[in-house]
Amino acid sequence: MATVTIYSTPTCGYCTLAKDFLQEKGVEYTEIDVSVDQQKAQAMVEKTGQMGVPVIIIEKDGQEEILVGFDQVQLTNLLGL
Amino acid sequence: MYETIIIGGGPAAVAAGVYAARKQIKTALFASQIGGQSVVSDGIENWIGEEVISGPDLAIKLKKHLESQKDNIDLHIGENVDKVNKKEDGTFEVVVGEDIYETKTVLVCSGGRHRRLGVPGESDFEGRGVAFCATCDAPFFKDKDVAVVGGGNSGLEAVVDLIKYANKVYLIARKPDGGLRGDPVTQAEIMNSDKVEIIYESNASAVVGEAMVTGLKYKKNDSDEEHEIAVQGVFVEIGSVPNSEIVGEFVDTDDWSNIKVNFENQETSCPGVFAAGDVTNSAYRQNNIAVGDAIKALLSAHEYLKKNQ
Repeated sequence: MATVTIYSTPTCGYCTLAKDFLQEKGVEYTEIDVSVDQQKAQAMVEKTGQMGVPVIIIEKDGQEEILVGFDQVQLTNLLGL
Repeated sequence: MYETIIIGGGPAAVAAGVYAARKQIKTALFASQIGGQSVVSDGIENWIGEEVISGPDLAIKLKKHLESQKDNIDLHIGENVDKVNKKEDGTFEVVVGEDIYETKTVLVCSGGRHRRLGVPGESDFEGRGVAFCATCDAPFFKDKDVAVVGGGNSGLEAVVDLIKYANKVYLIARKPDGGLRGDPVTQAEIMNSDKVEIIYESNASAVVGEAMVTGLKYKKNDSDEEHEIAVQGVFVEIGSVPNSEIVGEFVDTDDWSNIKVNFENQETSCPGVFAAGDVTNSAYRQNNIAVGDAIKALLSAHEYLKKNQ
């Protein structure tokens, strides 16, 4: 089972759509609101080398996939939905 | 063989999809996702029937409405159309990756995408200081200095989003002082903020940086001299370009690549191809208008199908 983390901001439309998509597919996820947690925001920038949200991190079988932006096609493939 | 294929996922495409399903026209709809360009909007206050609705909420409502009709329309959400081919017999092939779908008519509702500056550094620093969605990414620029390029409404709205977080916001506008476009309310908010400095009559010429953005270069309209401001973020808000390439080879477009339509019935220069919304040369880029035009396009396609059985 994959562990899914989404970095978001409350005003980010694509974050909302990504979360809606995950909920619809019954995928559980942890959300990190980078607008209230500057440390996590910085950690996200260091991890991904960029400053845009949403960032969706999928950990599966010891592998980590980082998706920047909401791409339904990629997300579907990576989660095997 | 489909009777119509709708391309796009914004309000125009959804409206056409709902009407097509209710008329039981054999239809497929292809979209990378449902929502359209308003997805990034914080609050839409002119979508008729809603006092205020956020971009994502509108997107979710559009998706639900479309899905409620799924028994009468084949929905291919998450599938991008690569190209449309016109066949000799007047029908069309819609190419989606390895798959080809045949159809008698095509409704192009593919909207627009962000126009880019096309200056050195813009692509290199995308996501590393160069951003295209202030609403989304403003929190990353807390206490930082940023620049917004573009003096239109979306540029002004980006400035307003950034004032809440940034230390300083430069606005690079091509127009002279007094020439800013955009809502008077938004303009007033900007003028009253001591964080904002507007650089008029100027164009961005380069984004500079190392690991991340460190500055933006610009030139005055009438000069070749380059100036540089130290910023950690550059937000590009210079309008949109139409996603018309998929039919560009056989459908007439204007100088800005907008699909030319007959405003009476949304037909294009190619019989059987109809278009609506931001991909067309409509004078106004509005959700409500896109919806109305798309319904017009669908009804015209329906007429066309009846005539050409």
